[in-house]
Amino acid sequence: MNGVLPNGFESWLSAAPERPAGVGPDWLDDQRRVAQEQVRAQSVPTSKTEDWRYTSLKGLLEQGFAQVDESITALQPDDLEEILIPGLDSHRVVLVNGRYAPELSVLGDLPKGVRLGGLRALLDADPDALRERLNRIAGDRQPLFLALNTAGLDDGFVALFDRAVMLERPIELIHLSVGMDEPRVAQPRHLIVLGDGAQATLIERYVSLGESLYCTNSVLEISLGRDAVLQHDRIQMESANAFHLTGLYLSQDANSRYRGVNIGLGARWARTELVTRFRGEQAECDLQGLYLAGDRQLMDYHLDVAHSVPRCTSRENFKGILYGKGRAVFDGLVSVARDAQKSDAAMSNRNLMLSESAEVDTKPQLEINADDVKCSHGTTVGRIEPEMLFYLRSRGISAPLARRMLCLGFAGEIIQTLSAEALREHVSEQVGQRLESAPLN
Amino acid sequence: MTSAQAVDDIVGSEYEHGFTTDIASETFPPGLDEGVVRAISARKGEPEFMTEWRLKAYRHWLTMREPAWAAVYYPKIDFQSISYFSAPKRPEDMPKSLDEIDPILLDTYNKLGIPLEEQKALAGIAVDAVFDSVSVATTFRKSLAEAGVIFCSISEAVHDYPELIQQHLGSVVPHTDNYYAGLNAAVYSDGTFVYVPKGVRCPMELSTYFRINARNTGQFERTLIVAEAGSYVSYLEGCTAPQRDENQLHAAVVELIAMEDAEIKYSTVQNWYPGDAQGKGGIYNFVTKRGDCRGARSKISWTQVETGSAITWKYPSCLLRGDGSVGEFYSVAVTKGRQQADTGTKMIHIGKNTSSTIVSKGISAGEGTQTYRGLVRIGPRAEGARNHTQCDSLLIGDRCSANTFPYIEVKHPSANMEHEATTSKISDDQLFYCRSRGLTEEDAVSMIVNGFCKEVFNELPMEFAVEAQKLLSISLEGAVG
Amino acid sequence: MLAVKGLRANVGGKEILRGLDFSVGPGEVHAIMGPNGSGKSTFAHVLSGREGYEVTAGSATFEGQDLLTLEPEERAQLGLFLAFQYPVELPGVNNTYFLKAALNSILKARGEPELDAVSFLRLIKEKLKILHLDDSLLKRAVNAGFSGGEKKRNEIFQMALLEPKLAILDETDSGLDIDALRVVADGVNALRSPERSMIVVTHYQRLLDYIQPDVVHVLSKGRIIRSGGKELALELEEKGYGWIDAEGQAA
Repeated sequence: MNGVLPNGFESWLSAAPERPAGVGPDWLDDQRRVAQEQVRAQSVPTSKTEDWRYTSLKGLLEQGFAQVDESITALQPDDLEEILIPGLDSHRVVLVNGRYAPELSVLGDLPKGVRLGGLRALLDADPDALRERLNRIAGDRQPLFLALNTAGLDDGFVALFDRAVMLERPIELIHLSVGMDEPRVAQPRHLIVLGDGAQATLIERYVSLGESLYCTNSVLEISLGRDAVLQHDRIQMESANAFHLTGLYLSQDANSRYRGVNIGLGARWARTELVTRFRGEQAECDLQGLYLAGDRQLMDYHLDVAHSVPRCTSRENFKGILYGKGRAVFDGLVSVARDAQKSDAAMSNRNLMLSESAEVDTKPQLEINADDVKCSHGTTVGRIEPEMLFYLRSRGISAPLARRMLCLGFAGEIIQTLSAEALREHVSEQVGQRLESAPLN
Repeated sequence: MTSAQAVDDIVGSEYEHGFTTDIASETFPPGLDEGVVRAISARKGEPEFMTEWRLKAYRHWLTMREPAWAAVYYPKIDFQSISYFSAPKRPEDMPKSLDEIDPILLDTYNKLGIPLEEQKALAGIAVDAVFDSVSVATTFRKSLAEAGVIFCSISEAVHDYPELIQQHLGSVVPHTDNYYAGLNAAVYSDGTFVYVPKGVRCPMELSTYFRINARNTGQFERTLIVAEAGSYVSYLEGCTAPQRDENQLHAAVVELIAMEDAEIKYSTVQNWYPGDAQGKGGIYNFVTKRGDCRGARSKISWTQVETGSAITWKYPSCLLRGDGSVGEFYSVAVTKGRQQADTGTKMIHIGKNTSSTIVSKGISAGEGTQTYRGLVRIGPRAEGARNHTQCDSLLIGDRCSANTFPYIEVKHPSANMEHEATTSKISDDQLFYCRSRGLTEEDAVSMIVNGFCKEVFNELPMEFAVEAQKLLSISLEGAVG
Repeated sequence: MLAVKGLRANVGGKEILRGLDFSVGPGEVHAIMGPNGSGKSTFAHVLSGREGYEVTAGSATFEGQDLLTLEPEERAQLGLFLAFQYPVELPGVNNTYFLKAALNSILKARGEPELDAVSFLRLIKEKLKILHLDDSLLKRAVNAGFSGGEKKRNEIFQMALLEPKLAILDETDSGLDIDALRVVADGVNALRSPERSMIVVTHYQRLLDYIQPDVVHVLSKGRIIRSGGKELALELEEKGYGWIDAEGQAA
């Protein structure tokens, strides 16, 4: 099984076979091996692959990304100043180029029953705590980028909550990317497990120092026990030259509640896959999304929400603003299994196009195999209503400001679902700044 | 009556039009090669250009693969076990008027509730009835001829108007388009040709009733409608099929061409035999329908009511080339028993200020599976393009499925695109409300379903709207027990 | 203050205004009445600079400036205000933010200092009282989900805040019941001053019971065919627009 990968991702795994001894137990090595084989068994998706119909991997493959090696630039806590959000009080976990950086992290006081920290550290200290959890939620038949992540799995973030534990302050997970001599790919792996009745807020941020070229291929596995509640704010603000991939695999037990707010502002090419599996009845999953696809930027979202058991509710509400030669892809699937009665799902994708050369491809899909369900989807693509613009201008507001106000109004619905006021302000400001310099043709 | 019983009864309703006409057919033995293609052409006495056209399509078809992307499942079709030609007994002695038509045939139409003579008298409809593969009756030709409208079988058109055929046939759906369109181009049996000259408003609704009859004859109709600048035509297509055991392949091609300011309205009521309760013996309906809005401000409107067939695979589409052209698609599709339908439309916005409307109503009952699959593409030059799409699914019973797979591709910022889809069942509240006002459960279901489809029925010409409602009621019949 | 001469304008290639002459002096209130389709709303929109209205001839000057070459916001900054017949809903755009952006844009254009948050809020609360509006309005999105009456009151509230020199009220009475009409009219009357002129566009005379005009004009087929005192409005009410049309044709 050794040898050249047939599909152009050799360099992503080049370090994997010579993995230093001691990084994780044998069972994990077995899983990496299985994943490597899965990578080898797949070919590079093309536009003929339904899931990749509108998204080309050409640009990403051309970069020849290589796996991040062990050395991490020595950063000081002061270096973080420019990326911290004023007024946001959190348990802070920092990863630099995909690796946990304890010297930059400020975990603070944690209640009993909460374990936070780096994946590798926990694999060393207490591998059994992860054995039945890691790489379980994502499933056996792994698509290419998930399999790549699993094959190279060696660090990331872990949060384990015992039953009924509540964390008051949010956990802030910062993915910091720092430029390197050559283009590198980081493949962090995260595991978040909330026991029955546990409650937490996770703020996940992707930021960079400088505008360097790199690739992130992160995978999150999230498991919510019965009655557990997780608010998950995700703010992707990678460097303007970066490539970004996220695979988020969510498993929800009965009566659990998940809200994910996906803000996509950065990277030149970004693809996010959100996969939800309901394991128990009356669980709720609320996926909100806001993306700005600016000049020559691609924002690609894939949602796969499976109502496999009855009485679950899901909401998928994604909004996009496009300008310059920006491109957005939205491919959302809500499926309802036979006998998953009383499923309730509403999917919406609305797009605002500000420029002549922007492009949107949207594919909201429903697969319904039960009759007593409430399922709907709605999609719109349009420009700013001239009437709205005129109304604002007739009150003395200049056209560019009026346009920005309307865009922020459009985005506000999603921004307000973020957990903290400091975060809402931060995102509004970032959106406003981008719109201010947005080329409109 | 319980709701479950009602559903069983609805689903259990027998196919009303299930009977076979006993008429001797002259049929080619099963199989397909160049010889068969040549034989079909020779048998129809076609000019050489048509023989060559067929052969070219046949050779290309050999290089093509059967599509596998639709959400329909059926045993592999053996294209060598199909007979590719079948004609009524005396093709050289075609009837000149209704009196000459085989009384068994007329009786068949009567059983179907579409008596030709009555139609002629009552509705003023010109009927070009296709019985098996060759036209056997054409009426009203004279008054159409006075208006300059050509309405004839496509075989006749090949002889009488070769220049029109050469110019237009295959210009909207080329033989390279898809597997079934390629096959159709090679072996098409017969079909309809309509030509409406410049500025002419066709004086009557044109209609063709199709009916599959002989065993194992794939039906490969080909329809071509050309509406010259400023003209208008409304065309009605309807079909029912007798009950049979073997699956039958139906791979039709319909091409519409609308020039500047022309309008074509194409309506279909499709009630092919859907198969028995186990799904055995139904028709496979793999159709390619496409309209080309070539001229500015032209309009093509597709309306379809699909209640039959074991498998439906059909996407009536519009190429909106002309500036300000308009495309419409209104559809009601019912699947029950083990019926499968993968249907929808494509609206390709190319010209400026083009607009399209899609209204799709899917009703699934029993173990029926239904998929709406649609594409709305707004090209980079389609300034001011507009689309509104509404896809609603109604589910009756807990073993059926409804899928909605829209593809929306927008490359112009001035586009205005709205898509909405809902899935629901008939609510207990609705049923209770109707029943508390004295309606039976079956009547209530029928009424609610008809209401659900109203938007589409409204688009049908009056005579067809009545037929469509009747069909829907028949589909839902049996709830009374 | 406003002088319109021989104004002709097309909408969608069709001529709606056919040589309109009209002028308003400082502090005057003019009513423009006319049947549907006479060009009342078109006139209001042409003055405020809405797209889709093509001026083919004539001029409109505001305090000596050529109005027709200006962008809508420039007209607003000069002191022109249009109260919309159908106020536009702006989902997601917060009312306070909107009002502050508008007021500060106007102040900035005039070279006056912009208001800070505190003084703005003080000002806005004061103006709310004039229209009997609740401060919950400030937290809502502009016009989104407002009732018809709320929308119209919000228009007059904006007028109170922006303090225009010339306000055009486009069918402000349409869709209002008598109580709402009274509130809106009281608001308008409170804003009357010797420096502020108003053009009240209306189909019905009833609004003029509450907002007393100095001059009444009758618009028909894109031209002003009669002008007079407020008794002209009463005469119209009594005899109907048919009377004017008949007279117009006779003339």
